[in-house]
Formats: sequence, structure tokens, C-alpha cells
Amino acid sequence: MTPAHFAFSSAFMLGLAGLAFHRTHFLSALLCLEGLMLSLFIALSLWALQFDTMNSAALPMILLAFSACEAGAGLALLVATTRTHSNNRLQNLSLLQC
Amino acid sequence: MAPFVYSTLIISLGLGTAMTFASTHWYLAWMGIEINTLAIIPLMTQNHNPRAIEATTKYFFAQATASATLLFAAVSNAFLTGGWDILQINHPLTSTLTTLALAMKIGLAPLHSWMPEVMQGLSLLTGLILSTWQKLAPFCLIYQIQPDNPNVFITLGLLSVIVGGWGGFNQVQLRKILAYSSIAHLGWMILILPFSPPLTLLTLFTYLMMTFSLFSSFMLVRTTHINSLSISWAKIPTLTASVPLILLSLGGLPPLTGFLPKWLILQELTKQDLAPIATLAALSSLFSLYFYLRLSYTMTLTMPPNNPAGTLPWRLNPQHNTLPLALTTTTTIFLLPATPTILALFTF
Amino acid sequence: MSYLMYILLFGLVLGLVAVASNPSPYFAALGLVVVAGVGCGVLVGSGGCFLSLILFLIYLGGMLVVFAYSAAMAAEPFPEGWGSWPTLRLMVGYVAGVGVAWGLMGKFWYEEDWLGFDGVVELSVLRGDVGGVSLMYSSGGWLLIGGGWVLLLTLFVVLELTRGLSRGALRAV
Repeated sequence: MTPAHFAFSSAFMLGLAGLAFHRTHFLSALLCLEGLMLSLFIALSLWALQFDTMNSAALPMILLAFSACEAGAGLALLVATTRTHSNNRLQNLSLLQC
Repeated sequence: MAPFVYSTLIISLGLGTAMTFASTHWYLAWMGIEINTLAIIPLMTQNHNPRAIEATTKYFFAQATASATLLFAAVSNAFLTGGWDILQINHPLTSTLTTLALAMKIGLAPLHSWMPEVMQGLSLLTGLILSTWQKLAPFCLIYQIQPDNPNVFITLGLLSVIVGGWGGFNQVQLRKILAYSSIAHLGWMILILPFSPPLTLLTLFTYLMMTFSLFSSFMLVRTTHINSLSISWAKIPTLTASVPLILLSLGGLPPLTGFLPKWLILQELTKQDLAPIATLAALSSLFSLYFYLRLSYTMTLTMPPNNPAGTLPWRLNPQHNTLPLALTTTTTIFLLPATPTILALFTF
Repeated sequence: MSYLMYILLFGLVLGLVAVASNPSPYFAALGLVVVAGVGCGVLVGSGGCFLSLILFLIYLGGMLVVFAYSAAMAAEPFPEGWGSWPTLRLMVGYVAGVGVAWGLMGKFWYEEDWLGFDGVVELSVLRGDVGGVSLMYSSGGWLLIGGGWVLLLTLFVVLELTRGLSRGALRAV
């Protein structure tokens, strides 16, 4: 395990813990998701750079496009949730538990 | 929804799953899964009520987290072993992480809790897509990773069977019951996966058949609650006869198709010297059998205490195409005598 | 060089701690900006200046503007920064967790050379990551088409999700 591997792994795990354990706002959850994607971007780039594979250098770009898509869908859901649930607290999403 | 948008979404659903099926590289598989997730989101919110939006939000978060974890496991595997091949994920840490991420995607027991709530917010058609088609792409990946240590799979499978039975025990909402039944069936599939992968495929096939016929029947009688099942005799009388058989087939009673996978799985587990686990799985599927029985009881044996004219719901002539339902119901009920043929089909 | 990289990697982890410790959204967005900036530094340090440029321009330029914009939706009178107790407690906990993980992983450690890409290839015309990204336009064309299809799909997804006033949706605002 190299220092870079440790750094992006712990960054990913931190983002995952933040997403899983304590979220008050919808937007902070989305930001945590973006943090996950960012650490994945860095991981993919570092893999392509350290293992000297030219082909894999295109993967982080596609990842960026996909994470933009996810963020877009998430923000659209934020708008939809704010319309139906009147604010963006995640605790409001309690209609379906019974 | 406009027809062009609808067809784009349906094509993308197919594209995502096909991409995952066809890929040998983890990155392409991840791309397929992401396309799949994105494409079903508008289908879930077809009618913009708060419950649908909430279900979509929960689904989105669960799936996005799971797919990010999946890619993280693939990258870690690439750092540790240097390869991106799907079959090559043999480092213990990353293969466990991959298994957990895929378990979250298909809703296996410790990571299942999004599944009933999401199903509760959706229409029955979208719920059908969610519990059949959306499972295929992650399932294809989980089928391809071969861990050295089957304990993770056994734990996930056994917990899913138990939770799937126990969670649906006290439910009156049909969609939640269906979600828990899906969890239990996926548990059976995962339980046998390290020992006999063809049996997993067989179980998946029967599960798809049974779930399709059950969802279509409920769509036909338009019920989402156990109470309104009791007036379904007035809507479509033939279904009243066949739905209990479908339910008991899901529960796995002998003369019906649902017995086939359970029988073979229990036999295989016993052959592998895992009789306690087999016993535990068989006993906890009694929970599932209990709520299937309750549904059958409500549907066929109860009659509301008022005059027949009062119980008849006002309705239009149903315009559904019932041919697929007829086909899958037949396979759901009558396939047990064809066991040797089916086994030969799936064990190649 | 190596010390600088260690500092940058530490900044990466610390930035994610700042995002994950549940502050108010605009502080979390600030943390994400820090993570993206530090990540650019890490990528430059390991020899991928083009990917780093992409990260800087696309990510900071595009994504975070949108996030800062929609942070206004979550505006609240008393925002929680990193100084307030619940957040500070979580931050300390996360940093301690990372420290423990470092201690556990320390025995599997091995040094890496930060030269990485092109460090030994003296005669190449292009830098490796530029060449790799440009491969996307030749042999990776289907990947590009797939990415474009996903962007189109997302457009439909967003439009379908955010409409609804004309469709009789129940709404509170």
C-alpha cells in the first residue's frame, strides 16, 4: 500500500461514512457523494499515471462526465423534494416507513 | 410522459444492462450500472406525488453509494493486482468490498433497508421493473466474481432469507410484502452461489417468472393493500383461483414450480456438509410461507360482511394484455415435473 | 518534492474530513473546493498535468458553481461551521480514525517514486495523459459516444424530474 493509495482510500471511506451516518441536509449528502466521486477521479488518474498505461488515462474523463450526470440527477431530485416536502431536510423523507 | 422520452429511457435501461452483460472490464460494467440507475429515475417519478419522489430519492442515494463503492473496489483491486478484469478480482479485501457493494445494489439483507421503502412508493409496473430487470446487471457481476471464501455469501444469503421472512411478517402493504419476498429469494440465490452457480441461475429464472406473474396479477386487480385483495373475486374470478397457487409457488410448496429451486438448493447444501445452514434457511422460509398464506387466505377465503352488490367495485372492462400473465402463470405452477429438463438446460 | 506530496495527500484527507463532518452545506462546498484544489496538486505532482487541468477547469469551474448556487436553497439563519461542537467532535473523531488506520496500515507500507508517468520516457512527443485522453477520440470512440448518450439521458432525467406544475403534482411551495 502506497501513501497515495492510503490517502484516496481513506478519503473515500470518510466520504462514505459521512454519507451514511449523519446527514441533515439533502445538499450535504449530495456533496458527500461528490466527494466520493472526486476521490475516485484522483484514484483512477493516479492508477493511470503510476502504472504507465496510456489507455486508462481516458477513464477519469468519462468518470467526470458520469459524476456530472449523477450530480445533475441529484440536484433535480433536490428540487423535486423541496417542492413536495417543503424543505430539504432528509428527516422529512418519512412517508414510506410503516 | 412523452413517447420519445419514454422510449429513450426504456432503450437506456436495456443499454445499461446489455453493457454490463457484455463487459469484461470493471469500468464498462460500472458505466452500464450507472446508465441503468439514471434511466429508471424518471420512470419512478411518473406521477409526481410526494411518495414517488421520496422513493426515488432513497433509491438514488442507495444506488449511487453502491456503485461508487463498486468502482472504488475495482480501483483498489487494480492498485493491488494490476488488472481490471471482472473475473480477476481475487484479492480478499476487494472481493469482499465488491460483494457488499453488489449486495447493496440488489438489496441483500444487511444492506436491504432501502428496498421495501422504495417499493412502497412506486407504481406496480415500476416495482416490477425494479425487482426483476434492475436486478439482472448487478447479478451478472456477482455471478462472475468467485471468492475463495464462501462465508460472505453464506452470511448474506442466510441473513436475507431470515430478514425477508421476518420483515414481511407483520406487513399489510402488498408492495412491501413483495419487496421482502424479493429479498428472501435473492437470499436463496446468494446462499447457493459459491457451491453451484447453475442452481443460482435456475433460481433466478423461476424467481423472475413467479414475480412477474404475481405483479401482473396485482396490476390486473389494482390492489396495493391486503384489504382490497378480498374483493378481487368480484373483479377477475379466474385470478382468484390462480393467485393463491402463484403465492404458494413463491413460498415453495411441493407440487408447484417454486419447490424446485428450494429442493435443489437444500440438497446441494446438504451435500456440501452444511446441513445446519440448510435447516436454518428452510425453517426461516416458513416465515415467508406464513405471509404468502395470509395473502391467499384474504384473497380466496374471506368475504366482506355486507351484501354482494355493495362489495362490487365500479370498474371499466380491463384492457390489459393477459397473454404474458397466462404464460408465466403456467410456468409458475406446472414446471415441477419438468425438473430433469430444466436442470439439463441450466447445468449445460 | 516528496514532502510536498505528503502535505498535499494530508490536505486531501483533511478536506474530506471537513466535508464529511456534517457542517452546513456551504461550508461543505468549501471543503469540496479544497479537496479538488489539493487533488489537482497531487495529480500534477505525479505527472498528470492535463488531467489536473481538466479537474481544475471542469470540476471547480462547472460543478461547484452549481452547488454554490443551490446551497442558497439550504440557507439557514444559524449555519454550523467547523467551530461548533457537534461538527468539531465529528472532525476530531474522523481524524483519529484515519490516524488509527494509518497506524494499522503502517506495516504494509512501501515507498513509491513520484516520477510515475513519463519520468523515464525521455523521447516521447506527448505527455502520457494527453496521449491517453486523445486516444478517446480514436480507439475509444464508443466510450465517447456512451458518455454523450449518458449526458443526453441526464438531460431527459432532469427535465422529467423537475416538471410537474402542469401535471397536477401535490406541492408545498
